[in-house]
Amino acid sequence: MLNRNFLNFSVKLLLKEKGDYLFSFIIFSFIIFIVTSVLFISESIKRDLLVSLANEGQIIVKNSKGGRYYPIDENYIDSILQVSGVDDVIGKVDGYYNFAQDRRFFKIAVDDDLNDTSMVVSSDVYDILKEFKYKKEFNFFVPNNEITLQIKEVIDSNILSNNTIFVNEDIAREILQMDEEDYSYVVILVPNEDEIENIALKIPKIFPDALVLPNYEIESDYDNLFYYKGGVFMILYIVVLISFFILLKNQISAVYGTKRKEIAILRSIGFSIKDIVLLKFIQNNIVAVGSYFFAIFFSYIYVFVLGAPFLKDIFLGEIESEIVFSPILDIKMLFLVFIFTVIPYLASILIPSWKLAVEDVSEVMK
Amino acid sequence: MSKITINNLYKIYNEGKESEFQALRGIDLSIKDGEIVVIKGVSGSGKSTLLSLIAAFSKPSSGKILIDGENISKLPDIFASKFRNEKIGFIFQSFNLIDGLSVKDNVLSPMVLTSLGQDTINKRLKIALNLANIEHKENQNIADLSGGEKQRCAIARALVNNPSIILADEPTANLDKENSLKFLEILKKFKELKKIVIVATHDTIFDELPFVDKYVDMSDGKFV
Repeated sequence: MLNRNFLNFSVKLLLKEKGDYLFSFIIFSFIIFIVTSVLFISESIKRDLLVSLANEGQIIVKNSKGGRYYPIDENYIDSILQVSGVDDVIGKVDGYYNFAQDRRFFKIAVDDDLNDTSMVVSSDVYDILKEFKYKKEFNFFVPNNEITLQIKEVIDSNILSNNTIFVNEDIAREILQMDEEDYSYVVILVPNEDEIENIALKIPKIFPDALVLPNYEIESDYDNLFYYKGGVFMILYIVVLISFFILLKNQISAVYGTKRKEIAILRSIGFSIKDIVLLKFIQNNIVAVGSYFFAIFFSYIYVFVLGAPFLKDIFLGEIESEIVFSPILDIKMLFLVFIFTVIPYLASILIPSWKLAVEDVSEVMK
Repeated sequence: MSKITINNLYKIYNEGKESEFQALRGIDLSIKDGEIVVIKGVSGSGKSTLLSLIAAFSKPSSGKILIDGENISKLPDIFASKFRNEKIGFIFQSFNLIDGLSVKDNVLSPMVLTSLGQDTINKRLKIALNLANIEHKENQNIADLSGGEKQRCAIARALVNNPSIILADEPTANLDKENSLKFLEILKKFKELKKIVIVATHDTIFDELPFVDKYVDMSDGKFV
């Protein structure tokens, strides 16, 4: 019988044992916090990678010789355009600039909206440049030349852009010392998805050294990578969750006598088995659902505002950069967390409560 | 017509096993509205078992318990609980109050299953506390009460839903003489309120009370 009086009474009984419930709340929140943070990080990285992939056409082709990458020349583009089913082939320029002063490499990427005198840098790159007094402009040293570019904009770092400097294509070629007819790689646009696989098989026949990467293979690589990472954490999570339920079971056992009597008292004044289960459901829902939202809120702040200190290193290695994880709130993922945390928690409480409720009241009272 | 009619009631524990025990053997009893019945007997004679069957805490092995013409002995849990909540007030030997709650919360606990308005609830609370003479301890925690006060709190809880039947199982076993006498005063009030009261006891304080309508002696699960 669910009414206001019943709800108030449930809360009163809960507050009466707030110490026990607070203990469960804190431990349970921590477990959900860890698992949600891990999933937020892996989902965010995966999404950034997939978004970048979506802008890269359906097939990526790189040139290699003896297992090393080499620039790809325009002949490739002309030849690939002859393959039936190919809509367009776009040459792309990117590479790495050796910033010798700090013994690190910056990634050079192309942004055609920039002019010959400006560049856009990630916040991580900007922080490094500032240390070397490059606050407004930066000098690229290339053989027999020095290219000076103004820092037009600083963008937030994410997993892809944390070490990136964006320049226009001509400047990129100059920095990377690439000839005008050379590209780092080409992307192939294939309008019909069914033809991607066939086209990907045809290209190595024309260019045996070409490394052909259809987008579905890269996507599946990303999926596997993060499934692996998620999998490791999932095993740890299951171990932690089982430990928690053992702890919870011990806690229930410790108060078994008190709870048994309390349930029998409630039964004696007219609570049915259904009412007892409902009462325990309300009380533990407050704890479980409260922990769930509390943990999700704080893991969102931890990952997307604070940048997931400590946990980030596990995912990305010990890097100094201040990577910003792109915020993502995947309802399906949160629902999955709910199913694997809140539901087992409620079940672990409600089943013993039900077992107590069906006992003979008069026997318990004795 | 009797309010409570018990016909050939049996309660057998561990039926068919080596440890089989017959707690009640063919009990017959009729109680009219407003009657006070005292069931006397030594420990293990079956008094508490009989009360627990009348309260629908458990089901008899055979026989019938008719209350207002309805057989409550085979009611499913949900209806048995409703019956208990509306028609029965139970007073236990060990009070059986919920620790950590106040007198008020304990007394009101049977009312959380009703959807009565706050005004009615407050009125019922006041009447019950007054009848049990515990209104001055309304906001006190159960842990801070004496044995007698706990018993009066349990009585208020038994009365709050205005049940027609009060069952008291060894109500004075944990009380001193003074508080036991106070309980008898409350029993008189029950009589004035025309409640059916069934007291199971072996306390001699209940002997030859003028307001008791019926005394029944029990031994070995039978009336003697």
